[in-house]
Amino acid sequence: MRNDAFDLSRRSFLDRVLMATAGAGVAAAAPWAAQAAGRDPLAGPRVRIGVIGTGDRGRTLIRNILKTRNCTVAAVCDNFALNLEKGRALVGANTPAFADHRAMLDAGGLDAVVIATPLDLHARQTLDVFGAGLHVWCEKAMARTIKDCSAMVKASQDRGKVLQIGHQRMFHPTYLNALRRAKAGEIGPITQIRASWHRNTSWRRPIPEGSTDRKINWRLYRESSAGLMTELATHQLQIGNWFLEDIPTRVIGSGSICFWKDGREVYDQVALIYEYSGGRKLVYTSLLNNARYGCEEQIQGSKGTIEPELGRIYQEVPPKVLALQRMQEDVKRGHKRVVPIGGATWFPELPVTTPGESLGWGEYDETMLQFEGFGEAVRAGKPLPGLLAQAYAASVASLLGEQAMDRGEAMTWPTDLVKL
Amino acid sequence: MHVERFAAMGTRVELHLFGTGDADALLWARRAIEAVDDALTIHRPSATTALNARLLAGLPAFVDDRVLLDALIEIDAVHALTRGLFDPVADVLRPGAGWGAVRFDPHNARIEASQPLALDFGGFGKGFALDRAGDALRRAGVTSAFLCAGESSIAVVGEHPLGGGWPVAIPHPLEPGRFLVELELRDEALSISSTVGGGGDAPDRAPMIRPSDCALVTAARTAIAVDHRGALAEAVSTALIVAADTHLLDAPGARRFLFSHAGMLVDA
Repeated sequence: MRNDAFDLSRRSFLDRVLMATAGAGVAAAAPWAAQAAGRDPLAGPRVRIGVIGTGDRGRTLIRNILKTRNCTVAAVCDNFALNLEKGRALVGANTPAFADHRAMLDAGGLDAVVIATPLDLHARQTLDVFGAGLHVWCEKAMARTIKDCSAMVKASQDRGKVLQIGHQRMFHPTYLNALRRAKAGEIGPITQIRASWHRNTSWRRPIPEGSTDRKINWRLYRESSAGLMTELATHQLQIGNWFLEDIPTRVIGSGSICFWKDGREVYDQVALIYEYSGGRKLVYTSLLNNARYGCEEQIQGSKGTIEPELGRIYQEVPPKVLALQRMQEDVKRGHKRVVPIGGATWFPELPVTTPGESLGWGEYDETMLQFEGFGEAVRAGKPLPGLLAQAYAASVASLLGEQAMDRGEAMTWPTDLVKL
Repeated sequence: MHVERFAAMGTRVELHLFGTGDADALLWARRAIEAVDDALTIHRPSATTALNARLLAGLPAFVDDRVLLDALIEIDAVHALTRGLFDPVADVLRPGAGWGAVRFDPHNARIEASQPLALDFGGFGKGFALDRAGDALRRAGVTSAFLCAGESSIAVVGEHPLGGGWPVAIPHPLEPGRFLVELELRDEALSISSTVGGGGDAPDRAPMIRPSDCALVTAARTAIAVDHRGALAEAVSTALIVAADTHLLDAPGARRFLFSHAGMLVDA
């Protein structure tokens, strides 16, 4: 894409974020988005970012950082040489590269660090970065344990440093537009969200020479991941909390290694119910051997449903009464015929397949926007409002779900979380 | 010709407008039905759930919702008219529970009950909602419209667009292709209640209770009532389905039918 074309699409993207956040109540529910999109980055030197972890996800993040108007990648770090080389190829040979994140921090010349490493490393690396006096952008989920999530939040508060977690849907115009329309009452009170992330893949990656299964497939092992919960569900639990404007009161669930019996330790199938005040629920399923229902959050109110991944909003419009359709056609033709109608009340029962209405708007740069927002937060020394609370609650919810499944009992929301 | 189709009152609503009238008339009619839904629903917070919370706690309540108050006034009237066979109390099986235990003062919008109870406007609400939609259409100058809620509650405004009454035929719930009765409607409402058809024979789907003696009505029946007001038509058809005798069929000038699907028309 040419630069001017990209600038145009960026402007159009930002306009759409602003349009969505201008709706009644949306600015309060998504204050970070309006702030990130609402003003051009200040002139001045770019925020210098070091990236720890240059695997697939880390390199995607680098590409987005390079698209921003206020950030630059000033160093890269990975303890796997192949990935480090790939990361370096994106930022130029002059960019310092490190195999150890502490060496990168010691080298100086950074304002902030992006962490895209296996989950169990997030907390320690975050604390190290804060210790070096820098700000942190960390991939979701936050950490392997609730205790570590809390330690990250506490350290951010104690050190007065920005801690931003990668939940890009919070910057996505389709989600923001969905929120605007939900806030406007278009789908009525939301009482249940049915979320799923279904894939038909082993999730197991080939091991390149020089690495190990535990390093490459860290998502499959308990020491480094809660599997589907922390790597996938976190996103959707955040959406659930966001649209229900609440945190769960408790969670029950069941998990199993049901299909991929290949030595993995994390569940390949999970089913959970998160309960919210007033009897509201988020019903969550994820599995790795059927992709029919894919990734979606079905946000259900009494007047309609929003499916933001598909970008659709559906009104509760029932099918036509055939006898009345025929009456309409008769009248048009000047015929008067008896209308066969009347019986027990019609109940809507079967799944509705009406196409709904589009929430807009195609491919977006929400990951870029969250980095522009992060850059401004670093410059101001002040986090984008509301973001960390959302991320913290989502990570806690995912880890609490894991505990509910492991213990086979309902887990109530922790009372000892850090106040935000 | 204009059509408005939407979900409300726990079912599908269709409003068919013919001829002239204010362009916004259908929207006003829809809003009227949605306002009734908002006030009378017990499936989400509403004026009715708030009222029920008070009545279940044994407390008196002031009804400040105009739609709910109007509904209660009409319910008080149809309860008397049907000699208690239509009863909006949800748990009439409990000894002493029923509208008879309610003290309702419409002038002061005050209601209380001598024992804890809750109200459920099923068997009344759809007809009541269609009445208010029809009123909205007439105020907007509409002279020809066909309204239905869930196919069991029908109301017509004025005459058929091609002149004369609106001809309707009520299908036999158990024998496709046969009809129980054919009727012409003019500025009237029609309500059909049945213990069979439409999935009504599923377990626990259509439990009918006769309020006067708490008997469970399991006979296969269809009741049909025509009246100038939908709320009354619906309450009467609900009452007919549980009636132990035929006194409700004897109202002068009223068109009321009760079919026993053991094979015969009880009376008309």
